[in-house]
Amino acid sequence: MNRKLVNIVLIVLALAIVVIIGKDFIGNKAGKNTENPYEYNVDEFRKVDSTAILYHETISFAVNADEPKGIAISGQQIIVVTEKLLLKYDYTGKELFRKELPDTADCVTVDSNNEIWVGTRHSVVSLDQGGTLLKRWNSFGDRSVITSLAVSGENVYVADAGNRIVYHCNTTGQILSKIGEKNEQKGVPGYIIPSPYFDLAIDDAGFLWVVNPGRHSLENYNPDGSLRTSWGMASFKIEGFTGCCNPAQFALLADNSFITSEKGMPRIKWYDQEGHFKGVVASPEMFDPDSYLAPDVAIDADQRVIALDFERKQVRIFEKNQDGNN
Amino acid sequence: MSDKEEPKSLERRRFIRSGMQAALAVSLGGLAGFSLLKSSSKNLVWQLDPFKCVQCGRCATECVMTPSAVKCVHAYDLCGYCDLCGGYLKPDPNARSTAAENQLCPTAAIKRKYIEDPYFEYVIDEKLCIGCAKCVAGCTSFGNGSLHLQVRHDRCRNCNDCAIARLCPADAFQRVPANTPYMIKGGFTKSGGGKGKEKKG
Ligand code: SF4
Ligand code: SF4
Ligand code: SF4
Repeated sequence: MNRKLVNIVLIVLALAIVVIIGKDFIGNKAGKNTENPYEYNVDEFRKVDSTAILYHETISFAVNADEPKGIAISGQQIIVVTEKLLLKYDYTGKELFRKELPDTADCVTVDSNNEIWVGTRHSVVSLDQGGTLLKRWNSFGDRSVITSLAVSGENVYVADAGNRIVYHCNTTGQILSKIGEKNEQKGVPGYIIPSPYFDLAIDDAGFLWVVNPGRHSLENYNPDGSLRTSWGMASFKIEGFTGCCNPAQFALLADNSFITSEKGMPRIKWYDQEGHFKGVVASPEMFDPDSYLAPDVAIDADQRVIALDFERKQVRIFEKNQDGNN
Repeated sequence: MSDKEEPKSLERRRFIRSGMQAALAVSLGGLAGFSLLKSSSKNLVWQLDPFKCVQCGRCATECVMTPSAVKCVHAYDLCGYCDLCGGYLKPDPNARSTAAENQLCPTAAIKRKYIEDPYFEYVIDEKLCIGCAKCVAGCTSFGNGSLHLQVRHDRCRNCNDCAIARLCPADAFQRVPANTPYMIKGGFTKSGGGKGKEKKG
C-alpha cells in the first residue's frame, strides 16, 4: 500500500516536472519569457502628441486583388492599379470596374483629360477610362525601374529609380530632357536612391517636384532642369524624415502644400509650401505594428488624403479635422 | 542612359560593391572549408535563414561559444551606402558621425568609412561582433536589410543540438549541406523592385 502511494506521488511529481519544463520551453520558444537585452526600440518615435494630428480616418475598404501598386483619383472615382489589374472604386468602397492591364504596373496617375497613365517596370502605357490601351511607349532599358509619373498638358515626367533620373517626355514618349543628373553649375546634387522609391508631382504653376530620398529632401526644378529650391530634414522626430530613403511617396494639395508618406515607420504628414511641418495625417500608431511599406497617397477634389496601405491592402481615406486648419 | 554616360560616382560605387561582394564570397567560401571539416556524417551544418530572423537577440546570448559563432555579415549589393544608416546610427543620433554615443552597435563592431558625397561604406569587424542583431533590426526597419546574421563556420562547433536553434522564436535555424553552408541575401536590383513590392528586410 505504502509502495503504491510512493509510486503515485512519484508519477505525479514526474508529470509536474514535465509540465513545468514543457511550459518553460514553449514560453521561451514563443519569446514570452525572455527579454532581449539588445532590443532595437523606436517606440518613443511612434507616439505622436494628439494635438499634432490634424486629420482623421473616415472610411477604409479592402482592395480584393494581389500586389496593389498605386492609387490615383479620377473625378469621383478612386483608381487603384495592382500588378495586373486596373480597378475603380466609389467612396463607399464599392468596386465599379476591373480589367486586366496590358503590362505589369508599378504606378499610376490620371491627367486632366481623364487619361490613365500607368508606369510599368521599364515603360509607360496610357489607357482610356474603359481600360483600352491608347499608347505604349518604348522601353527605357533593362535597368529602368519606373516608380512615378506626372502629366501636365503635353508634358509627362517619368521617375526612373533604376537609372536615378527623371525623364521629361512628350505624350508619345519622346525624351525632351533629363532632369536631376548631378550638375554643380545648375545646383543639382544628383539623386540618391537606395531603394525603389522615387516619387514626383507637378504643382499648380507647372513646376516639377521630385523626392531625393537618400537626401531626405524634396527638390523643385525649373523647366531647364536647374534647381529652384529644395527642403527637407533627416530626423526620427515627427518634423523630419526617417530611414535611408524618405519621403517614399508624396502628393500636393491644391494650395501646393505637401502630403508626405514614409516607409520604415509608416507615417503620413502635412507640410506647408516652404516645407514647414504643419501636422500629422496618420501617425505610426495608425498602421499595423509591423508595417514597413510607405502608403501611396493621392489627393481628391475635396482635398482629402486617399492612401493605399500596401500592408493591409486597403484604401484609407483621411479628412482634415474641423479644427485642423493649421 | 548608356553605360558610357554613367556618372563616375556610380561606376565607382558599383566597383566598390563588386569588390566587396567578391571579398565576402572569398571569405565565406574559405570558411565553407571549415564547415566541411566539422560537419556531421551526413555533411550537414547549422545555418539561419536571414529572411526568417526577427532579431530577438538570442544569437548573442544562447550560443555555446563566447562570443557567439553567429556574426553580422553585409550584403554590399543591397546596401544604399547611406549617410543616415539605420544599422550604424542610433535612432535620432546627435550627429551622423563615428562618435561612440551615436553608434547603435554595443561593441562598436561596425566601421563607417567615407567614400564620396554622400556615400559611406559599412564593414563589420568580426572579432568585435557578438551577433546581437541590433544593427540588423535597424537596417531591416529603416534601410534595405543589407546587414544580416549568419552562423560563421570557422567558429561554429556544429553542435548536435544547436542551443540557439532550440530557442529561436522564428525557427530560422536549419541544417544545410556543408558544401553550401551560407544563406546570404541578394539585392533589389537583381530580384526586381517596384513600389509596394519591397519586403521588410
Ligand atoms: S535566435 Fe533566431 S530570431 Fe533570434 S536573432 Fe537568432 S536567428 Fe534571429
Ligand atoms: S550590432 Fe550586434 S550584430 Fe551588429 S555588428 Fe554590432 S555586435 Fe554584431
Ligand atoms: S551549433 Fe553550437 S556553436 Fe554553432 S551556432 Fe549553434 S550553439 Fe553556436
